[in-house]
Amino acid sequence: MLFFRSSSTLLAGLRILLVATALLGAGATRTTAQSEDSQAIKPVPVFTMGTGLISSFEGGTPHLGPLVSPIFLIPIGENWLIESRDTFEADLSPPPGSNNFKGVVEKEVDYLQLDYIANRYATVTVGRFLTPFGIYNERLYPIWIRDLQSDPLILPLGVGPTNASTGAMFRGGFNATSKIEVNYAAYFSAESSANRFESDRAVGERVGIFLPGPRLEVGGSFEHLLQDNRSNAFGFHFAWQPRPLPLDIRGEYARSQNGSGYWIESAYRLNQVPLWRDQMRHVQAVARMQQFYVSTVPTESLLPVNTNMFEFGLNYYFEDNFRFVSSYGRQFAPLGGNENVWTLGLTYRLVFPLGNGEVE
Amino acid sequence: MTAKSVALASILLGALNLCSSPASAQDARKLAASAPDSAPRTTSSHPNATPSSAASQDDARWRMEGEKRFATNCGRCHQTPHKYPPRVMATAIRHMRVRATITDDDMRYILRYITQ
Repeated sequence: MLFFRSSSTLLAGLRILLVATALLGAGATRTTAQSEDSQAIKPVPVFTMGTGLISSFEGGTPHLGPLVSPIFLIPIGENWLIESRDTFEADLSPPPGSNNFKGVVEKEVDYLQLDYIANRYATVTVGRFLTPFGIYNERLYPIWIRDLQSDPLILPLGVGPTNASTGAMFRGGFNATSKIEVNYAAYFSAESSANRFESDRAVGERVGIFLPGPRLEVGGSFEHLLQDNRSNAFGFHFAWQPRPLPLDIRGEYARSQNGSGYWIESAYRLNQVPLWRDQMRHVQAVARMQQFYVSTVPTESLLPVNTNMFEFGLNYYFEDNFRFVSSYGRQFAPLGGNENVWTLGLTYRLVFPLGNGEVE
Repeated sequence: MTAKSVALASILLGALNLCSSPASAQDARKLAASAPDSAPRTTSSHPNATPSSAASQDDARWRMEGEKRFATNCGRCHQTPHKYPPRVMATAIRHMRVRATITDDDMRYILRYITQ
């Protein structure tokens, strides 16, 4: 209990601990049933990788961005999973007066975590994990998933310096009623300055409600820093896939001492366009609008001025895991900060079993 | 009672819950046969339905519900992926159980659907 340094922190920690204990205990008997049920198909270790090459022009300056992101998934027994994701990426651009692209390759350990599925209500995670603040960082960030290749301007709010935390987390999803699902994540992160394992000392939680009928999810996130000025960050998110249309609508709002802002994005798969159907069903049109407002405590990972940005994208899916991506964006910022941002690229994801993938 | 002792007690309580004697195998089988399986496993009410046709209807219901949950859950974040070998999908669904906080019921429906 050395990490509890004040009564408020202690109470917050106790609250998380008590809730976690209740959740762990609530479904202890169910684990046995779940285990029996999952014996039929024994999972195999899997190597998967997202990769891409994105070229962009920001204010007339060309950039090349190769990225490789290998993921290892190692299931152990019936309830355990080790998972890791690293990212190797570069931002190559020509120095002034040169035509040669130069840059350095950045290496990050996005997550390296051990998960224990305790029961139908709770999973315990320890290690380095993606900070569960909002939905973009955990669910939409991978290069082969994101519909637009640029990060939302508010992404650094609430997720820490490297989008990851180091510590322990309780999380899970369960049916509150037949029409309502609840998902949650509560975590404690220790401060770490270890190379590629940087994280802030913080506690946080995220709760979401998903309505499978209308396919609507809404939720909120909260984080309390336990270092520096011990500030708070909070945010809200929503995602909606209306049933009659191949349309995704998502958005997030976040606020902290470093700034505030929101993004809202829609992505429409042109399945229903009655023209060149064979080709149109591969095409996805995307639009995103976002605004960011600086606060009194600026930080390097956020823009230094209030900024508005609109982006429009067209993606072409050769396969579900291989696509061509393109977008145009216009950024509006005071003091000559207006610029166009173009991106073109390819993204690909492969999945490779590290063993026999078929049922023996 | 001090806050520290409350924390200690809650840890012990949780450990006891986890380590306490689990339900018997019979109880476990009953649980495994209960929700969410019960709805799809209800057999045909047609008086002339044979066991095989009831089973095929049962499978069809499973498939429909699994497909619905597959689209509803997986489509929240990414395009519908194509099917990989069963043991790969079993790993992927465990990964998604953690990453996307898919419920236990959804996981079992989706796993059965995508491995058929």
